[in-house]
Amino acid sequence: MKTFAETDIVDAVVIGSGAGGAPLAAELARNGKTVVVLEAGPAFTAMGHTPDEIAARELYWLHERLSAGTNPQAFGGNNSGTGLGGSLLHYGAFMPRMDARDFHLHTETGKGVDWPFGLEELLPYIERVESFIGVSGPASYPWDPNRRYAYPPPPANSAALKMREGCDALGLRHADGPAALITRDVEQPHFGTRHGCANCGACHQGCRNGAKSGADNTWLPMAVAHGAELRPGCFAHTIERDSAGRVTGVVYRQNGVEHRQKCATLVLAAGAVETPRLLLTNDLANSSGQVGQNYMTHVSTQVWGEFDEDIRPNRGYPSLTITEDMMRPKDADFVGGYLIQSLGMMPATWGQNLARSTTTRGPAFARALAGYNRSAGMGINGECLPRPENRVTLSNEKDAFGLPKPLIEHSYGPNEWAMHNHAASLLSRMWEAIGAKDIRVIDRAAHMIGTCRMGTDAGSNVVNPEGRSFDIDNLWISDHSIFPSAAAANPALAIMALSLRTADAMLKA
Amino acid sequence: MSPPPDRPEILDSDHLSARTRDILTSRLSAPETHPRTLSLQAYAVLDALLPVLLPLDEILPPGTDINMTARIDAALSGPRDGWRFADLPPDAKAWEAALLTLDDVAAEQHGIRFIHLAPDLRGTLLDALMAGQIGLDRDGRLTPPQIKRWAGDLRGEVVDCVMSDPRIQQALGISSSLTGGDTVFQGFTEVGPDSREDFEPKATAPLAQMADSRE
Repeated sequence: MKTFAETDIVDAVVIGSGAGGAPLAAELARNGKTVVVLEAGPAFTAMGHTPDEIAARELYWLHERLSAGTNPQAFGGNNSGTGLGGSLLHYGAFMPRMDARDFHLHTETGKGVDWPFGLEELLPYIERVESFIGVSGPASYPWDPNRRYAYPPPPANSAALKMREGCDALGLRHADGPAALITRDVEQPHFGTRHGCANCGACHQGCRNGAKSGADNTWLPMAVAHGAELRPGCFAHTIERDSAGRVTGVVYRQNGVEHRQKCATLVLAAGAVETPRLLLTNDLANSSGQVGQNYMTHVSTQVWGEFDEDIRPNRGYPSLTITEDMMRPKDADFVGGYLIQSLGMMPATWGQNLARSTTTRGPAFARALAGYNRSAGMGINGECLPRPENRVTLSNEKDAFGLPKPLIEHSYGPNEWAMHNHAASLLSRMWEAIGAKDIRVIDRAAHMIGTCRMGTDAGSNVVNPEGRSFDIDNLWISDHSIFPSAAAANPALAIMALSLRTADAMLKA
Repeated sequence: MSPPPDRPEILDSDHLSARTRDILTSRLSAPETHPRTLSLQAYAVLDALLPVLLPLDEILPPGTDINMTARIDAALSGPRDGWRFADLPPDAKAWEAALLTLDDVAAEQHGIRFIHLAPDLRGTLLDALMAGQIGLDRDGRLTPPQIKRWAGDLRGEVVDCVMSDPRIQQALGISSSLTGGDTVFQGFTEVGPDSREDFEPKATAPLAQMADSRE
């Protein structure tokens, strides 16, 4: 790997090596730019990952966050990541495309916010991402017959088969969902051999054979092959500027020692909590007052049931079956829509959901936990509207670096509750129709979106439609903090597509 | 030679990586010193609380003790899960305060410490705690809304401890640790219903034998 001196003025420093930072770093490097990627976490090796859920927390961002609001969000597990590859090290690889209607929610409904462009603008980048990293899916996708996937789907596990039955019982269409994993061995350019999925089920604990399409086995090796330097273990905390206010470098801590990297351009790709936190602690790029505002999640209601069969929910790709039939349900009393996916799950994660959503105790609690091997779930990802009370701010409490811990306020509004109730009812009926017992609804939100919104108006947005700060012309943001609305789809694909698009804009700038 | 009764068979599977085996094996022994985080008083309350919250006698073989109190106490001094409720103090302080609150409420309501209460009275207090009906508005204690929040943390921590224990995984027939070895990464060939593979454990816990008995 090529390395740069701290005194070199590199073309770009990228803070964060996940879905937001990695594609952009690779694209800039491929086009001859000098790039340094600062990653707070370590470099992991795939075969060193462990399915043990407690030990696998090493893949999560564990700098403490304070969670408030009427729906305080659980962080840690399956949320922000750490390590070269970012959250893609632990993500579930469920890879639906954003629905074309979700780009124009405000135009459609008068609620929410429109994106400054439509699906047609992002689609070429989406297809490039899918083609480069490897995504499996069905031969014919019911909601988009023209779409093609390069790899056949992995085998349907028990939960996927049960959800198919539930959909059939209620007359819903279903399909094998798009999954960012490969189902046969391939030689990945600049990386080496990636093996086909072994159905081990531990996607969230880190893929051990390279089947899951992350940044560590796709974008980052490509970036290095074209001369980018990856620096793990580097926690960036200070952004330096010249008298004109332009960024000149970044100060970061590595092994307890402060370092400074000079750069011509800075890209923040640290996610919807750490990106605004960096801007707020440095008091930057916030003439709009919108940094940290419009924090959104996905309504991620789950419904679990117990079956007579031996389900073994840890086995196989966890979330294979999808239906997009609820993207605009006819009987909806909410705007936007939701996707439904089948859910297998590892035991501690499953038990946490059970424990936090009930108050059962004694032998009944033991019996519920003993039902793990008979359990199957379904879950949704649904639109969450931006609300003024939902935001990321700096708390009065300091972390180990002496920086303020982030405070995340999150409360559902009427739209989120209506969607939750709709999904809880529908998914419960699906499970009842096929004989599930002990049906349990879990009210939860997932993902982190918004906080540095992109748009055309500098007064109400942090970055322009290409991800460039309105206030500082050599500062760019490339992650889910720039999403104007949450949309229903899991965010990783859109983050990567936007990352390539922002790289294009930087190369033209 | 058959394995000692306390050593689950899954630990000897070649579907387990060496790292995962080491992690699971380390959970078979109790932390050397305890309490490590909590005061003696709070530790004793936790020890008296756990069997009322989650009894394991219908899951584990007789005489098996997974040392839940000591392991939770030690975990509170280790790396945490990356977040907490903003209206609670840091985890170790919150646990200490919650457990002492429970002890004080027991003394106020029944005239004796929590550890001396009969199990059904301990259970009633725990129910009131989870419903946010008890609490104390003074320094070093938690108010009812705070203690209701903490109840979620308590339940989550207990489940982490239980479901990550190899003896529990063995007893419930859970194969989640057996994703593959170091030289061969086997994964699973069968992933549909009623298709346990030979290397996967069968449930031995009385509470969990229904599914296996159907094979």
